[in-house]
Amino acid sequence: MELFLQQCVNALQWGSFYALIALGYTLVYGVLRLINFAHGDIFMVGAYIAFFVSTAFLAPDGVFGFSRELSLALTIPLTMVFTSIVGVALERIAYRPLMRKGAHRLYVVITALMCGLILENGNLALLGASRKTLPTLLDKNIYSLGGVAVTNLKLWVIFAAAFVFVVLHFIVTKTRMGMAMRAVSWDKFALPLMGIPLERVIVFTFILGSSVAGLGGMLFAMSYPVLEPYMGAMTGWKAFIAAVVGGIGDIRGAFAGGFLLAFVEIMVAAFLPSTFRDLFAFSILLFILWQRPTGIFGKPLTTKI
Amino acid sequence: MLLRVSNLKAAYGKIEALHGISFHVEKGEIVTLIGANGAGKSTTLKALMCLTPPESATVTAGSMEFNGASIIGMETYRVVSELKMALVPEGRHIFGNLTVMENLQLASWSRKNENTDEDLRYIFDLFPRLAERARQRSDTLSGGEQQMLAIGRALMTKCSVLLLDEPSMGLAPLVMYNMFRTLKKLNADGLTIIVVEQNARLALRVADRGYVLDTGEIIAEGPAEELLRKPEIKAAYLGG
Repeated sequence: MELFLQQCVNALQWGSFYALIALGYTLVYGVLRLINFAHGDIFMVGAYIAFFVSTAFLAPDGVFGFSRELSLALTIPLTMVFTSIVGVALERIAYRPLMRKGAHRLYVVITALMCGLILENGNLALLGASRKTLPTLLDKNIYSLGGVAVTNLKLWVIFAAAFVFVVLHFIVTKTRMGMAMRAVSWDKFALPLMGIPLERVIVFTFILGSSVAGLGGMLFAMSYPVLEPYMGAMTGWKAFIAAVVGGIGDIRGAFAGGFLLAFVEIMVAAFLPSTFRDLFAFSILLFILWQRPTGIFGKPLTTKI
Repeated sequence: MLLRVSNLKAAYGKIEALHGISFHVEKGEIVTLIGANGAGKSTTLKALMCLTPPESATVTAGSMEFNGASIIGMETYRVVSELKMALVPEGRHIFGNLTVMENLQLASWSRKNENTDEDLRYIFDLFPRLAERARQRSDTLSGGEQQMLAIGRALMTKCSVLLLDEPSMGLAPLVMYNMFRTLKKLNADGLTIIVVEQNARLALRVADRGYVLDTGEIIAEGPAEELLRKPEIKAAYLGG
């Protein structure tokens, strides 16, 4: 029982990473009907940005020589800002020109895939193959709750994911920009007719998705402090699958799918040989999609897209 | 002169849809463009809204002037927010996943610092049905109600020129008459209206002037009652 609870906590943490990445897939898909396959690598970029920013701040090696607390407090928003700049740059440089020319969505998706590879290999070329280690920003505390060991970092990760969910849910359901995002997902043609600049809505969506992925990358790097250029590839693919299983286009789905995938993965690894993990996880997801092709929260599209 | 279009040509790829049409609209008028399917009526309205491919044709020649200034190449959202021209598109295009109220609020986007209560009251006065259903998801509305919402939404942009593309499509006759009565009222309240219709008789009854389009060219124009009486128009567009 304790083992099970322990694994549940681990699954919540692991699922938080998936959820934070899946959100970016789902937000961009909701607005543009585009699967932004570079998004997993945006997560990787976020982790690296966190590395550079925190290393620059932190004493004794950093230029600024700040304390851990201050470095952490500054690294979070700066990582989110810089990561969203990368995300928006991709939209500007790669996707927008294609969509302006009326290119079929397939070409944009392939472009996204290439952009992801460029980010990975650009990183490799610029920084070399040596792995980076994120400096410690948070003193580790372990709490024991009825035999279940929980680190403060784990709690922060889970809390961050929950907080992001609440904030995004608020933005999408209650704000004008959120209203516009939902409107675009229904009918892109009519939005400019309301006097609303479509491209501003799209850029805002990329900012949201990328900054959340950046936060995810930073928290991931804090939890597993070894960074390498391909760290976003597999995790990104899994988060994408999580978004689809949850129902792509729906932020609740990103969370549901993320936590579900993490739960299955962790439980399989805990009670079966760990080599079974991905096979089992994806077989279960395949079964879910077989039963509900639109995902847990997805609704079949009744209108033209 | 509010709007002047001269020798406008527009093409979908290599296929030309408008072969150089000229027309004008004065402030406070109701002008109708009538014609058969594929005559270029919708293309004309979309061109006025500066919509571009893949939604619309590309303007290849000619001029479009709003209060004397060229609008070719302007971004659509600025046509709405700055020129105060709004389009009720064919097929309505309401945001079905938003409530009626949200649809209306969204349309006041470019007027974020203004109080819109007055306009909401005006719209709900015009269409009491929308007030009743304000909290309802708009894809649950009937066709007629959706058309009311599409018009209400356009009015929320505080437009001074309203373009309507086939507003009678799919409506029951009674609903259709009511809608045209509403257009008359809006016009009496100062709105300039350009309406594209297949139901030519109805459109000409409410309009001040009309233009008849045929395969991308204007083949007749004049005061509405004159067009209604012309034998060749009667034969071709008014069912004899």
